[in-house]
Amino acid sequence: MNDRNKTADDDAFVEKASQLFDASVDGLDGETRSKLNRGRQAALAELQPGGRRWAQWVPAGGVAAAAVAVLVVWSISLQVPELDAPGVASDMEILLTEESLEMLEDLEFYSWIDLDGETTDDIEAEGPANNVG
Amino acid sequence: MNAYAASFTVSCIACDRKGVETLQREAKLNRFFADVEKRALRIAEINIRDRDEALDLVQDAMIKLARNYADRPGDEWTPLFYRILQNRIRDWQRRQMVRNRVMVFFGRGSEDDDYDPIAAAPDPAGRAPDEELQSHEAMVSLEAAIGELPARQREAFMLRTFEGLDVAGTANAMGCSEGSVKTHYSRAVHSLRETLGEHWQ
Repeated sequence: MNDRNKTADDDAFVEKASQLFDASVDGLDGETRSKLNRGRQAALAELQPGGRRWAQWVPAGGVAAAAVAVLVVWSISLQVPELDAPGVASDMEILLTEESLEMLEDLEFYSWIDLDGETTDDIEAEGPANNVG
Repeated sequence: MNAYAASFTVSCIACDRKGVETLQREAKLNRFFADVEKRALRIAEINIRDRDEALDLVQDAMIKLARNYADRPGDEWTPLFYRILQNRIRDWQRRQMVRNRVMVFFGRGSEDDDYDPIAAAPDPAGRAPDEELQSHEAMVSLEAAIGELPARQREAFMLRTFEGLDVAGTANAMGCSEGSVKTHYSRAVHSLRETLGEHWQ
């Protein structure tokens, strides 16, 4: 009997949750619906002959970017003799991981972070010199 | 000469048939997306708490389904679509965790701190203001409680309750056994009822 009540209560709970969710779906604004429609049209364009063929080259672009990064690390290791081989190998391992490929998408952001850090370091480094100056 | 003409005619018929098949498939996929996209958006939005990002994830999932699985039978599309979407949501959440760690490292807080579920929730249309407010508050509470669930319980509950998938379809979408779906779903309902309390019902 208790189990039956519990099941009935669960069903009522799920029914209410479902109704609330449906209401929130019905309440989506026109702008959001329009964006969904545009997204749908973009997806359907995939079915057209030759549609979005360029997209298949995007992963290749990521691999090419990783290859360039590996070459840069390798060339630096040639120029700087004190860089040890295991260190270079681990840099390459990091660069070739899947997460690093994703990180390359945010390269601009990380460059900005890097520049920001350098600027702060410069200010801190110049500070005492100016005082002495 | 006649052989060439016959060959050309057969080729044209084949092309026409292929074109018609493409159009039919496009119309069918269009109906499927139109049917599923709004619920998918809300499910993604409840998971990641950002409508614009949720729109991107839903579009990505639609593009991947159209690109890779349009040839599959129509009844396989729903679990396939939600499987792609759930993977996209998980990837997004993983990337967000990494970004948050970077932000914390550089002394910036997470933008999620500013999230206001009341402001972000949509306005249900066509009801009296007090009823609308009650529903709105109930949905906000429900979304918050769902957000507290473990990921697999959350997926099982949303796919079963919001999308209306059966146990087999949910198992397919989640990439796990039907037994696991039943366990996750049952625990999710129990946990949500406990969190939201009797007054919510």
